[in-house]
Amino acid sequence: MYKIDDHVAVAVAGITADANILINYARLAAQRYRYAYQEPIPIEQLLHRICDLKQSYTQFGGLRPFGVSFLVVGWDEYFGFQLFRSEPSGNYGGWKAAAIGNNSPNADSVLKSDYKIGDTDMKKAKSLAVKVLAKMLDTASPSPDKLEFSSITLKDGKPEYKVYTKKDIEGLLKDAGVEKKESSGDI
Amino acid sequence: RILHCLLTSSAASFQMSILQYNGSAIVAMVGKDCVAIASDMRYGIQQQTIACDMKKVFQMGDKLFIGLSGLLTDVQTLKQKFDFKLKMYSLRENRPMRPKVFSSLVSSTLYEKRFGPYFVEPVVAGLDAKEGPFIAAMDLIGAPVFAKDFVVSGTTSDELYGVCEAFWKPNMGPDELFETISQSLLAAVDRDCLAGWGAIVHVM
Repeated sequence: MYKIDDHVAVAVAGITADANILINYARLAAQRYRYAYQEPIPIEQLLHRICDLKQSYTQFGGLRPFGVSFLVVGWDEYFGFQLFRSEPSGNYGGWKAAAIGNNSPNADSVLKSDYKIGDTDMKKAKSLAVKVLAKMLDTASPSPDKLEFSSITLKDGKPEYKVYTKKDIEGLLKDAGVEKKESSGDI
Repeated sequence: RILHCLLTSSAASFQMSILQYNGSAIVAMVGKDCVAIASDMRYGIQQQTIACDMKKVFQMGDKLFIGLSGLLTDVQTLKQKFDFKLKMYSLRENRPMRPKVFSSLVSSTLYEKRFGPYFVEPVVAGLDAKEGPFIAAMDLIGAPVFAKDFVVSGTTSDELYGVCEAFWKPNMGPDELFETISQSLLAAVDRDCLAGWGAIVHVM
């Protein structure tokens, strides 16, 4: 997971080396926008620029596409909190809840049934995210070492990107009811 | 300057160096485990004063400030450019930029325009986590001076050299440093018609 600017962050699935290029590009794009307009870049604008780049590798140059999917989260003053998903084709969509990477189709269907539109606050969202992620990992005992967790919230009216510590994640796992279970002796 | 103005025509506008078009006074001083940077707040166009709340010192990091004297449009543009570069650095390196490093960034940014320079003369002041107080000043093409006591910049630089040399002493605490830098600035700008009309001091 990477911070792009104070108000935008991304999670990556796919070829890390390809992702690094795109993340650097995204950071530059965000700063160029800030420099030109003295305003933080609206989330969809940023994503659009990244996706235009991804798309161009599917149509021009004879190069292979970027093997990267992104989940982009952020806040801007025009549309509030937003979540987008993009893929190697350059296609992107806005979502209430989404997953990428291993077992993401499964995760998507769980999210579809369990995420209640209009009735999911931050607490429920974090809980659901952690639960779904644990399922995607295929482990019976998700430990904080295996997870990265971050969020964007508004602090004093300004967006803040927070990376959760191991302790924070332990708390999350506990609240969600998916903490690591001590081996009880069977097999 | 005032005499010259009276002697020329009453539609008072006469040719000045581009670095004197707006007018400013910037000073930074080192104390004991502390550092201060101060500037005037006049926004003027030649002899006319337009505003008295113009920022010329900008906070670039938690304990890092840059003061820019000279042509105000370049002051503002450079501030925005440094915001860009600083942000990219802290995102890539995942740590804040240290004052000495920032000073080098300012220097190289200015030298890139060696044959068409930005008309600014910056002052960098910061508190390095490991190495303590840091101040530096540069000319418009990036030549730095790293002083142990104080640095000055702007149309009031000659006057500032005088008062700072007289008032500065080593190992001042934050309160004494604040007094010293303030009184130096106030005394100096009263001898410069292009600077003054308010002042701001930042103490780290």
